[in-house]
Amino acid sequence: MTAVSLRGVTKQYGTVHALDNISLDIASGELLALLGPSGCGKTTLLRSVAGLVHPDSGAIEIGGRDVSGVATRERPIGMVFQSYALFPNMTVRENIAFPLSVRRRPEAEIRRRVDDLLDLVRLVPQADRYPNEISGGQAQRCALGRALAPAPDVLLLDEPLSALDALVRGRLRDEIRRVQQLVKTTALYVTHDQSEAMAIADRVAVMNHGRIEQLAVPAELYEEPSTSFAATFVGSRNAVELAVVDGRIALAEAFSVPAPVGAAERAIAFFRPEDVTVAAGPGAKGQPATVELKVYLGATTKMHLAIPVEGGTARLYADLPSRDAASIDQGAEVRIVVDPAHIRAFPVPD
Amino acid sequence: MALTALPRTLPRSRPSLGRVLLFGGLFGYFLLPMVAVVLYSFATRWTANILPDGYTLDWWISAVTDSAVREAFGTTLILATLTALLDIVLVVPAAYWSRVRNRRIRTFIEVSAAIPFALPYIVIAFGLLQFAGIVTPGIQGTFPLLLLGHTAIAFPFMYWAVDGAMSAAGIERLSEAAEACGASPYQIIRRVVLPNIVPGIVSGALLSFATSFGEFAMVQTLARGVYTIPIWSAGEIRSYSGDAGAFNRLAAVTVVSFLVLFVLSGIVVYRNRGQIVRLLPSVANSEGRPTA
Repeated sequence: MTAVSLRGVTKQYGTVHALDNISLDIASGELLALLGPSGCGKTTLLRSVAGLVHPDSGAIEIGGRDVSGVATRERPIGMVFQSYALFPNMTVRENIAFPLSVRRRPEAEIRRRVDDLLDLVRLVPQADRYPNEISGGQAQRCALGRALAPAPDVLLLDEPLSALDALVRGRLRDEIRRVQQLVKTTALYVTHDQSEAMAIADRVAVMNHGRIEQLAVPAELYEEPSTSFAATFVGSRNAVELAVVDGRIALAEAFSVPAPVGAAERAIAFFRPEDVTVAAGPGAKGQPATVELKVYLGATTKMHLAIPVEGGTARLYADLPSRDAASIDQGAEVRIVVDPAHIRAFPVPD
Repeated sequence: MALTALPRTLPRSRPSLGRVLLFGGLFGYFLLPMVAVVLYSFATRWTANILPDGYTLDWWISAVTDSAVREAFGTTLILATLTALLDIVLVVPAAYWSRVRNRRIRTFIEVSAAIPFALPYIVIAFGLLQFAGIVTPGIQGTFPLLLLGHTAIAFPFMYWAVDGAMSAAGIERLSEAAEACGASPYQIIRRVVLPNIVPGIVSGALLSFATSFGEFAMVQTLARGVYTIPIWSAGEIRSYSGDAGAFNRLAAVTVVSFLVLFVLSGIVVYRNRGQIVRLLPSVANSEGRPTA
């Protein structure tokens, strides 16, 4: 069942297309992440669903109801902001109760519901503290409880982890996911962090220039990016621009794959560092390369490789299990091969 | 090495002679006239000596028991209080609106806030009188028109104090959050905006009060029948005909007015202790704009 549906939503600021004809369906109970760089329109899209931004055209439905002419406060939404935006004059308990008390629910019902929510977001011990007396992670959990209080049809999260330090971020991310699955609420989650998006979302929409470049489950997005932008933005990929020769593109002896459809002269090939096979020794096959730098990262070792190609040097990264990398020294001459099955190539736009 | 050698706090230097002279001089410059007025209000006679010839409470008693003084004092208090209240009622919603709903009206408000400083009050008063004559002849020369005039000249203080408090509280974000929680504009102002800008409202109210309390030109021009302390003081000076104690009584009333304003200023400073008193419009008001 579709919980939120967008049809041809467009928003223009001056000459900039913040949202360019966006159509999107979010299934009931699904967490969909909007992923993209700043200025890609993801926040504008979220704020359009909230009613804080009014699209120039297109329709937005929440729970089957067209909300185009509906004010923010009348929409069945709950919202979590990057800056927490808790009310400083209210305790944690009062913050969570706020959406219920402005709806004039009976006192007893509010108390029951807030108790449940405090339990859900694990803030029972902090219930009577003020926002300036709790940590950032607790503040964002309070904001989550407040957003969920009116049992909204859709939960809107605007970069909820960006203000937190790395350690808290990972923990709160899993916490948000746990709560969202527990209450089975539909959620729209804006982030610029690809690992965060893939860790938390059922599906990820990669956005760029006001358009959705790719909408896929995390594994598909990671394995099979459908556009050049998605390939660049998701995963730290090697990107090599190559000439099309006889309908194929090749990086010397490392790989050779058919050129992508629509590539007349040049194409760009993406492949991930862990798909580069590095071998040393007399029997090794593949493209000769030099290990310029070896970076030990614990389980894996990252190698910066230089490959002499016509007209200069191509630079690639390879990730190896550290055990395999131990025998290869910095500065060593090695041979590399890339599995063609893991190469995604796209035409270079003229 | 170099870092650990740095002291935690800067050592307090011994006050130098120059500094003592500077602050002592400033202190004397501000305080001496006030001390002189206080002494004069208690003086029997004050001739060629550095201190009065003798002391008496007579002038104070006659000032305090003078019904004209008491009436003027009451009128001044009422006028100043109403000015502060009216400014709260007018400015808080306007400042909120200019931050959250329509940032373009900020330019208009900020230009308006400069007018009381750019034009003499007497010019504003005449403008108001003319305008009232055309639009509402009924209130020409009355207390309500005077109240409106004082509200107009005192509003910048209220606006700056309230706007600064809104900026500090991040009212745009809070307002948006409250809206997403389902609150109506009235609920947002009452339950989210007001409680978080109380310091600004108090500062603004006290400054508006003080502006009205000591104002002379507008009272004189806009409402002939309204008798405030500044009007009374001016009348005392104008009607002086050599009777003993007239100026001493004036000094006593001046001391009272000064004390009222001094105590109010003290409250403003005390309430804002530990933070910068923000009365001037802030330069960077860029928060709350979406980036993506």
